[in-house]
Amino acid sequence: MTSLKVGDSFPAGVEFTYIPYTEEKDSITSCGSPQQFHASEEFADKKVVLFAVPGAFTPSCSVRHLPGYMEHWNEIKGKGVDLVIVIAMNDAWVMSAWGKANGIKKDEILFMSDAGIKFSRSIGWTKGPERTGRYAMVIDHGKVMYAENEPAGDVTVSGAEAVLSKL
Amino acid sequence: MDASQQWKGKKVVLVSVPGAFTPGCQANHLPPYIQNIEKLKDKGVDIVAVIAFNDSWVMSAWGKVNKVSGEDLLFMSDTKTFFSKNYGWSGLGERNGRWAMVIEKDGTVSYAEVEQSPREVKVSGADAVLDQL
Repeated sequence: MTSLKVGDSFPAGVEFTYIPYTEEKDSITSCGSPQQFHASEEFADKKVVLFAVPGAFTPSCSVRHLPGYMEHWNEIKGKGVDLVIVIAMNDAWVMSAWGKANGIKKDEILFMSDAGIKFSRSIGWTKGPERTGRYAMVIDHGKVMYAENEPAGDVTVSGAEAVLSKL
Repeated sequence: MDASQQWKGKKVVLVSVPGAFTPGCQANHLPPYIQNIEKLKDKGVDIVAVIAFNDSWVMSAWGKVNKVSGEDLLFMSDTKTFFSKNYGWSGLGERNGRWAMVIEKDGTVSYAEVEQSPREVKVSGADAVLDQL
């Protein structure tokens, strides 16, 4: 386990699972099929904001963390960000449903599973034995430009505003 | 929620699914239970509870998404698949198997069947359970 710092390269071999948006599976009671997302490869030629939450549908994540990213989405994209991705320990189906429940249907914000909290564990940013920590990162063409893990329970360094100020 | 305590003296249908928001569970398993709630109650069932390995926030959201409110159908977390594992009915890895049980008021189990294939909904479905009541 090595922590990720500004200036580091985003590690190779990082994968998440997710359910890509399709018109037929648009509704929240319509479940799609999870697929692998090869993060390390996908991030190589893009500017990415990646943030992690301890759990889908949990109070802080739903009320205080995710909405900030939804509100500031235009500004974030305006700074040349190609992908905004949120991850948690929940499986891809639950993440897909959480996205739909928040009215995010297409690919504005991608909802993915850090299956087995593999990635979060590899950088030492977990909460308890099963959940990811609450953190945010900016990765620009494979290079880590910003990486902060919340020290306490609030949404500060991992929130949309903090990330925006670094873009 | 201490099931063994709270369900004493009640007739309970307990349904286990591999996962909230997953295709089989959402499309084939859950809806017939929602549709047949009154029929189940007519047969003397006090509580219908759906459990999965997902945490209770996710289970609660799954219930709301399916527009189940009140106390008709309870959505609960079989935390750590405790219940499923102890009875040898866990499914794939960390998930529960797909099964249904009827627990009578005196605490005896009058029906308990696990799907041979977790992709199917037969012996654990609402129809099968209704037939037994």
